[in-house]
Amino acid sequence: MKYILLMSGTKVGVDTYCAWSQKDIEAHMAVLGRINKELTESGEFVATQGLAGPNEAKVVRGEKNGMPVTDGIFPESKEFLLGYWIVDVATPERAYAIAARISAAPGPGGTPTNVPIEVRRFAFFEQSKSE
Amino acid sequence: MKYIIMMNTMRAGHGVPEWPQKDLQAHIAFMVGLNKELRQSGELVSAEGLSFPDQAKLVRASKDGLPITDGVFPESKEFLAGYWIVDVESPERACAIAAKVSAAPGPGGKPLNMPIEVRPIMSGPPPEML
Repeated sequence: MKYILLMSGTKVGVDTYCAWSQKDIEAHMAVLGRINKELTESGEFVATQGLAGPNEAKVVRGEKNGMPVTDGIFPESKEFLLGYWIVDVATPERAYAIAARISAAPGPGGTPTNVPIEVRRFAFFEQSKSE
Repeated sequence: MKYIIMMNTMRAGHGVPEWPQKDLQAHIAFMVGLNKELRQSGELVSAEGLSFPDQAKLVRASKDGLPITDGVFPESKEFLAGYWIVDVESPERACAIAAKVSAAPGPGGKPLNMPIEVRPIMSGPPPEML
């Protein structure tokens, strides 16, 4: 069964991350890189992506004539998706265990960030590969 | 350039929309048609729908690295309902696709005009950080 692990944060959180030392960022990325490698080796890895910052985000609505109306202003408190992992695992518990490892990735000074990771199962219509 | 087009919903108790069968079918037919178009134009990378928030868990690592799961979310939290990843020529094209998604038919065939979040996807961390 496929799960998506969502890492979200607010604009304030993104600004804080940008202020981490180079060494802390490298240690953080090294752990995430190792998790991806392990998931690839176990055959559970499907995809992972980091998203560009909220400053590049737009909210779009369709007009009556179908033309896009874009809006680039978001409230400071809005939670943004920072990145995600898609995994194909045997049990929900395995998805939670992977999410916990991501949550425990080191932050400033090597302290685990303990960021909450939202774990969601894919719905019945999977349209990417099956069609 | 790659973009993610995200459809969010409010309400943690959100279930299958209580729309008439006919309206649901028209909505799904619209989405299937859109995906077909994007596949034919070579712009579709992937599209997925997520299960409802009642099945979502929030996970944090405990001190010993074990998962602490929590399934209770505030009613006001926005949930990702589904997404499309597209590979397009311009940001304007990504927004045009998002507008199509926004205009998907709802009850009585009326366009939903829901807000759709459009975000560029990063190419990944620089190699020296891996």
